[in-house]
Amino acid sequence: MARRLRIAGILVIVGLLVEALCLVWSKPIAFVVLVCIGGALIGLGVFFFLYSLVSGPHESTEPARTALDK
Amino acid sequence: MPTFAIVILVLFSAVLAGVVVVRPVITASRAGKILAFGVFFFLPLFSLVAGMENEMQRSESTAFCLSCHVMEPYGKSLHIDDPGYLAGAHYQNHRVPAEEACYTCHTDYAMFGTIQAKFGGLRHLYIYYLGKPPQPEDIKLYKPFNNRECLHCHLGARSFEQGATHNADPATLPAIKANTLSCISSGCHDTVHNVGRWGDKVKFWDGGS
Repeated sequence: MARRLRIAGILVIVGLLVEALCLVWSKPIAFVVLVCIGGALIGLGVFFFLYSLVSGPHESTEPARTALDK
Repeated sequence: MPTFAIVILVLFSAVLAGVVVVRPVITASRAGKILAFGVFFFLPLFSLVAGMENEMQRSESTAFCLSCHVMEPYGKSLHIDDPGYLAGAHYQNHRVPAEEACYTCHTDYAMFGTIQAKFGGLRHLYIYYLGKPPQPEDIKLYKPFNNRECLHCHLGARSFEQGATHNADPATLPAIKANTLSCISSGCHDTVHNVGRWGDKVKFWDGGS
């Protein structure tokens, strides 16, 4: 899970940096770069994060209950 | 939200994401999981939406339109010191917001007009960067200028409704409102930007932004 989290984080960070650059870049192409590159990277990062949540091993902090506990 | 505030938010989100990337172990606790959700889901999406909204707003500014070289003469035409020039007269007298002068006249005041205007802008970008942009004087509208865009402001105005020329013939005003008699291409208000046809005698107003 940590590996997927790292990948998600790196994608999000790069996407956010692209967005920050686009916001200070006053050329019309900045909007397209923001949406196509920044948006895609952030979207992929978010997707990887959600994927890491649903596909990672389920680790419970509570002790496992057995039939004897009942 | 101002641009600098969004930039700060974006950089703050990136720094927080960097902390989680460097130390993923902090996500083991409940608080860490909440932090990870905020940093990898909520903040990036919020920053993206805020950034896109900001760019959409900026794309309506006069400065944005005039940042392409081919548009420079059109920006200059806004400063022509002659009330007969429609674009200049509107800009200089604030009949349109000076900071959104291009967008105010050239957007489409119909349902989904803003979206159409944005797609038109993307087409401009495609031609500008990947196609062959025409010379400024050869630029034409994609479709004839619709009176609806003029009437968005002028409809109901006394100067329009009771103007002597508009009422000289009883058929004129209904024809204008029905868009069968064009405001700008029927010989009445046809001096708009006139790029490439200014001549030597045209003077420029040095006010405005």
